[in-house]
Amino acid sequence: MPLCKECKKFFPVKEDPNKGDCVQRVVDPRQAYYKAKPVGANMDASSCSSFEKI
Amino acid sequence: MAEAAVNIKELEKNQEWWRAAELKRSKRLDYLRKAVWKKGAVGGLYAPGIKVDMERAGLFTDGYFANLNDPGMVRHAKAVANVLDNITIFITDQAQLVGYVGSLPHTISWLIEGGALLNEEVYNEPGIAPEPEAESLKKIAAMMDRWNGHTVQDKFIPYVLSFAAEEGVKLLSGAVGWGLPLSISGYNGKDYEYILTGKRGFEDIIEDIDRRQNDMTEKARKKAGPEYLHVGLRMMNWEGMKIVLQAVIRYANRYARLAKIVAENYETNPKCREELLRIAETCERVPAKPQRNLQESLQFDHFLQVVERFESGGGAWPSRPDYYHGPWYDKDVNIDKRLTKEEALDLVGEFMIRAHEVGAFFPRWTREGLQGITGTWVWTLGGVKQDGTDACNDMTIAMLQAARLVRVSNPTFAFRWHPQVKDEVMRECFECIRQGLGYPSMRNDPVLITNAMHWHGHPIEEARTWVHQACMSPCPTTKNGFQPMRMASATANMAKVVEYALFNGYDKVVNMQMGPQTGDARNFKSFDELYNAWAEQLKWLMNLLTMSVNFGRAMSPEMCPRSFLSAISERSVESGLDAVSPEGDRGNSWITAFTWVENIDSLAAVKKLVFDDKKYTMDQLITALDTNWEGYEEMRLDFVKNAPKWGNDDDYVDDIMLKCLREAAQFSKVIKDPSGNNWPILPENVSGNIHYANIVRALPNGRRLGDALYDGGISPGPGLDKKGPTAVLKSCGKINHITDGRAFLLNQRLSPTQLSGEKGYQLWRSYMHTWADLGLDHIQFNVIDDATLRSAQREPEKYQEVIVRVAGYSAHFVDISRKTQDNIIQRTVQGIA
Repeated sequence: MPLCKECKKFFPVKEDPNKGDCVQRVVDPRQAYYKAKPVGANMDASSCSSFEKI
Repeated sequence: MAEAAVNIKELEKNQEWWRAAELKRSKRLDYLRKAVWKKGAVGGLYAPGIKVDMERAGLFTDGYFANLNDPGMVRHAKAVANVLDNITIFITDQAQLVGYVGSLPHTISWLIEGGALLNEEVYNEPGIAPEPEAESLKKIAAMMDRWNGHTVQDKFIPYVLSFAAEEGVKLLSGAVGWGLPLSISGYNGKDYEYILTGKRGFEDIIEDIDRRQNDMTEKARKKAGPEYLHVGLRMMNWEGMKIVLQAVIRYANRYARLAKIVAENYETNPKCREELLRIAETCERVPAKPQRNLQESLQFDHFLQVVERFESGGGAWPSRPDYYHGPWYDKDVNIDKRLTKEEALDLVGEFMIRAHEVGAFFPRWTREGLQGITGTWVWTLGGVKQDGTDACNDMTIAMLQAARLVRVSNPTFAFRWHPQVKDEVMRECFECIRQGLGYPSMRNDPVLITNAMHWHGHPIEEARTWVHQACMSPCPTTKNGFQPMRMASATANMAKVVEYALFNGYDKVVNMQMGPQTGDARNFKSFDELYNAWAEQLKWLMNLLTMSVNFGRAMSPEMCPRSFLSAISERSVESGLDAVSPEGDRGNSWITAFTWVENIDSLAAVKKLVFDDKKYTMDQLITALDTNWEGYEEMRLDFVKNAPKWGNDDDYVDDIMLKCLREAAQFSKVIKDPSGNNWPILPENVSGNIHYANIVRALPNGRRLGDALYDGGISPGPGLDKKGPTAVLKSCGKINHITDGRAFLLNQRLSPTQLSGEKGYQLWRSYMHTWADLGLDHIQFNVIDDATLRSAQREPEKYQEVIVRVAGYSAHFVDISRKTQDNIIQRTVQGIA
């Protein structure tokens, strides 16, 4: 089962590596941006369409 | 480059300002301006691609129900903290300021805790649920089920039913009032003197609260006494404040972290990397600590505004950016020279864009009332300092210049004019007006300061800090002067007053006995009888609306606690009371009087044609009105053309205006607001003139059901001001703008051709001298010709940044309904003599 921490987009929090941010690049019809969402390092990423193995 | 310069010159010569602005602004501003998703509803409908934000709703719901056993204010604070800790955040390319009320740029916030009235509209609004739609609708329905019985509306209604069920139904009919008396949405004034002057950051406030909690605990345990009866309430309010303040610091740090991650892992351009690291440094600094420069000051302010909207809705944006950010502008640009003027202009322009992109889901009646925009966000510029000296600074000029470059319709500006304002600043105001922004509206500072002292007893130093709490009404920004919440429900559809006077208080649109039974108007034998019925209906309506707001305000700390707003308010930090609690608030209430002038023209028409000239009987008039003038067109035109109309310097009708205003002013001192202060009226319309067109029946001024109502608070009817601009000013100047009401909105349309060049400026200056000499408190302008507006109707895609002044706000012309567009075109273009 792939985990969030195995993804290129996962950035762990230094003080607590079990937590981190999923950081993604998005280009929508009007603008481009980076977004971040808090995730757990050991969260199941099997249904994540943006998962990219490190 | 040379070609662009020629193009700009040519476009400016042709007065195609919106196209010139695209070429003049920096690449960054152009990108950021065009990056904004349009959040205002167009003709009541949201633009394609706009989605309701499910994340805020879901996180707030989880946070709320996970803490059900906590006291209300702590539970609410924890729910807000859960949002701040977990909502998706984003940083737009080229941005230097961050923070948004939703999880993604195309989302609009949804305050699910408000009530079923709103939530059902979210569920039923076509296209607003994110894809996959079926899945989102399922989630929305599940969340709504969870909230059933817990929303602010659910908690509030039993209290209303306990004493005023009939009044509640009348309010909800939508015929006479606007909005609900709940602090879940409204206009949040702020104690900027406490929070935005660089004296403290959130860490300082947390420390202060800790000290107060310790102090209170120690004292309350040592000595029993009435002063400590509410110690538990205060301790919990302080707890809620700390929870939110800490969460906001973490929220800002999340942006700092994202900016660093992007800078260190993705960004290859050294300049962009440097900017991202500056964002990181800024968000690590503010709002935890006081700001040190312009970017930090703007970011601090923007975090305040965004978090306020995570906690509750912000229908307005009371603000004074040049006054509070001006010192940092001066430090960075003039003293330390760490920013060039162009760099500062980029920051200021982006500050406006960050506000412009904010959007929330509104029920349909609000969307129709606020066509094309997302709230009445009128930022205040200019004015005087607390010591009475001129407060204009370089930031004032930068704001006015930035506005012409980014051409957003929201926020808009209102400029506090006073005799010391320098010509250089007046020219900047004029350029905005000439270039068709519709703003700044011009406010008469000496008049309005005195007015604030007259109506609400603000001491002069306090009165001098005033900002627009919404479109028009001034409110101070001090500890006791600021008003934390103004509920939009004290907004009267005043044309109903004359309608009810003519129909014995019965409303045939909603089929209810609304007002008191003041007698069958067919039997009225004198104008006085009609006037007395009118006055009785007026008092009934003023009382109905203010009673509901007073009640809502008193219940608000329990129904909808405001830990964040409290935490940034000195009096709440000091007392441990919720900011919305009336205690400590001097009071600054007003009743917005929509559709006011119809009363005056209608009463004048009846007086003239029925009672003075005896051309018609009351029986004939009521019959004609009852049939919506159908079959009585000749008679109707007589009432339009041959009855005196407001705005023509005609004492016959102008005296009726004064009599009516003074009737209202007298009663404003009888009814009291939650702080025991007065409730003056404030005639203006937002876009109520269109919203209420199908709700107000035929009137003696000649209007028919469905016709647009007049557009301003004291503006003459479109096309009815036939004696020129000076006559309009003279009529308006007969009103005492200090004692007759809180403020009076006047729309004027001027010719762009006449205002061109230096001659145009000088004409406008002398017109403004007359305006000031006559003591008017407000005026705003549309300076755009019919041909351009007609072209924009034909080819809207080419005129996206054409702005018009609607009533109390500006909107992009292409974003308002056809009826409103036509109404603006119909307004008389005044030639200044």
